[in-house]
Amino acid sequence: MPSLHIILTTSFIITLVILISPVFTSILYKSLNRNWHTHHIKTAVKMAFFTSLLPLFLHHHTGTELTITNLHWMNIMTFDINTSFKLDHLSITFVPIALYVTWAILEFASWYMKSDPNINQFFKFLLIFLIAMVTLVTANNMFQLFIGWEGVGIMSFLLIGWWWARADANTAALQAVLYKGVGDVGLIFTLGWMATNLNSWEMQQMYITAKSLDMNAPLIGLILAATGKSAQFGLHPWLPSAMEGPTPVSALLHSSTMVVAGIFLLVRLSPLMQDNPFALTTCLILGALTTLFTTICALTQNDIKKIIAFSTSSQSGLMMVTIGLNQPYLAFLHICTHAFFKAMLFLCSGVIIHALNNEQDIRKMGGLLYLIPTTTSCLTIGSLALMGTPFLAGFFSKDAIIEALNNSYLNAWALALTLLATSLTAAYSLRMIFFVNMNFPRFPALSPINENIKSITNPLKRLAWGTILAGDLMTCAVLPPKPPMLSMPPYIKLTALVITILGLTIALELALFTNKQRPYMPKQYFYFSTMLGYYPTIMHRFFPYTFLKLSQTIGTMTIDQTWLEKTGPKTITSLNLSLATTTSNIQKGMMKTFLSLFFTTLMIIILLNYY
Amino acid sequence: MLPEQPVNMAGVVFRRWARALSNGNRSGISAFLLGNRAASGMTKDSLPGSYPKTPEERAAAAKKYNIRVEDYEPYPDRGEGFGDYPKLPERSQSERDPWYQWDHPDLRRNWGEPMHWDFDAYIRNRVDTSPSPVSWSSMSKQLFGFIGFMLLMFYLGEKFPSYQPVAPKQYPYNDLYLERGGDPDKQPEEVKHYEI
Repeated sequence: MPSLHIILTTSFIITLVILISPVFTSILYKSLNRNWHTHHIKTAVKMAFFTSLLPLFLHHHTGTELTITNLHWMNIMTFDINTSFKLDHLSITFVPIALYVTWAILEFASWYMKSDPNINQFFKFLLIFLIAMVTLVTANNMFQLFIGWEGVGIMSFLLIGWWWARADANTAALQAVLYKGVGDVGLIFTLGWMATNLNSWEMQQMYITAKSLDMNAPLIGLILAATGKSAQFGLHPWLPSAMEGPTPVSALLHSSTMVVAGIFLLVRLSPLMQDNPFALTTCLILGALTTLFTTICALTQNDIKKIIAFSTSSQSGLMMVTIGLNQPYLAFLHICTHAFFKAMLFLCSGVIIHALNNEQDIRKMGGLLYLIPTTTSCLTIGSLALMGTPFLAGFFSKDAIIEALNNSYLNAWALALTLLATSLTAAYSLRMIFFVNMNFPRFPALSPINENIKSITNPLKRLAWGTILAGDLMTCAVLPPKPPMLSMPPYIKLTALVITILGLTIALELALFTNKQRPYMPKQYFYFSTMLGYYPTIMHRFFPYTFLKLSQTIGTMTIDQTWLEKTGPKTITSLNLSLATTTSNIQKGMMKTFLSLFFTTLMIIILLNYY
Repeated sequence: MLPEQPVNMAGVVFRRWARALSNGNRSGISAFLLGNRAASGMTKDSLPGSYPKTPEERAAAAKKYNIRVEDYEPYPDRGEGFGDYPKLPERSQSERDPWYQWDHPDLRRNWGEPMHWDFDAYIRNRVDTSPSPVSWSSMSKQLFGFIGFMLLMFYLGEKFPSYQPVAPKQYPYNDLYLERGGDPDKQPEEVKHYEI
């Protein structure tokens, strides 16, 4: 059906126009009324979601994919840069999910940020972020992808530092920019390599021309970019620090969409990686290390948002492991299912924080199951999905990943770490539920606890439906491109379930100890976990201090000292002094000196004559 | 009578202006241009001076920098250009009391307080020198020990990978003897298959 392409193109363009229009209309108005954000931006995102469903259904029904090239932007000799959109399975599936999650978050934010005088600007920032994310996801060339990449990075900076008068928020925003900037170096290197060696930034051309080349260097650049953006080990501290931003920002950017942009990049460029064992092994090792390390850090955190942030980092490590297994489809499936339950967890934490008058410490929560039942139920559903409870969204992706792990030829230690991290995921999830929902309240009874507001319950319910149904719908609707292993021994099939239950049981046992034993002095490994492996402490103190001190010393002292003293007057003085001293010492009338000089000169003359 | 020659008034004005400037009369436009200075900023006597050698110089320097004489300690005179600038404790702004009513609460600094030579390294967005619960050597050993252990284990994991057991495909009927054109009158070679 030729008209399918027209329908697909039109609905995609309509989606884009609906998203972009509030940004421009806001410029036309002199001042925006108080409810502008709700009437315009939230409504725009909602409508865009519904219009984006049409390409999704068309794609699932007929398998239609499309590449739209509509503008020859820059053409230099044989190198073309066009604006082109790739509407394939990845973008057609991700865009509605991102819009659905954003719709829920915007509705929630209209309540959460109600008291903020700049709420319209806040919503505009979120919308610009969403547009940049859609640009990244639908890009058919690396330049457009880079525009989206940097766009989401900048908006992340602006939104983390939303409360800019707070020094910690400023520091966190700077951290995010610097760490992601290190990753951007990798991406720019890859862009340069591709421009010089593949002579194109278009995806299709890159996939074909890269087949015969050694791709180690650009793939390492891509992996570095993903490490920065998706908070893998080494460039991960920005993600827990980013919790300084408002909760809607954490829910949208730092859990569902931006943080997975690095993984999405690797999924999009997986045809380049699939035949490169070095890159795949690097992804596997990096992902396994990240998932375990961040899970260990999450175990002892007391800030509810930090627990969920480390959980995000851990799941992004799991996605990296999946890419290392050469299963990009499974990684993408996990991106999609993860978006639902992680956003829901953040929204629940936002409700709890507001309900307890900005209390974020889980040691000062408790018994909320009876006070805010919808929120705590959604928190529980989200945690169960995160653990991979059968038939929730997380199960379909996580279980498939663990099965693929067990059936693959891979590094044994990576397998062990990933299984351990899966088990510990259950542990910290239970710890969070135990402290927040169960037992008795540990907060003053003065907090105005109320969740009887549509702006809270409607988004949570929508995301809960997504958490329950999304995994099933996605796996039923789409056949995986690589056939999964269908027959395996029972112990392999049940591994994920067994280790999750094991982690849960151990965590429950330990939780019961908290009511009975006296507190003890923390051990060294407790400090290792609480202080995030000492990584931020060491990296944020040693290197900045060393480089700042070195640059200051070189700039203000060493250069001047070198050029004005050492290369001129003082060196000449010391040289002259040493020469004069040596010469006058020689001529002090000592016989030994005269005889040694005589014989040395004699030897030199003889040798010169001889040669 | 000769017609009056035209006079270049701009040139006349410029000459008068240049004369006024060079005479240093400091009146009119030249006073405006050269006499106006901001009330803020460093004056000559508040800039760093040479290294203080006598007790009187030390006292004067301490007064200049708004420090007590007992607390004043200059940098060693090693030709690095510090002059009489005080050597303040190497502690960042993060270590200062967050609840005290500072004149500049975001900088945690009072008006007139001497600034550290490396103050830009010690702002709240940068280096934090506050004490950690664990000593620096212990932290370094644990972090790098952890990373080293992980790298070693990954290396061993590559040497001894994990995989499901695989075997060559096994066919029935003595490896399909008849289907492959074997002689039906002859007894085929017995093929033993193993269960995996």
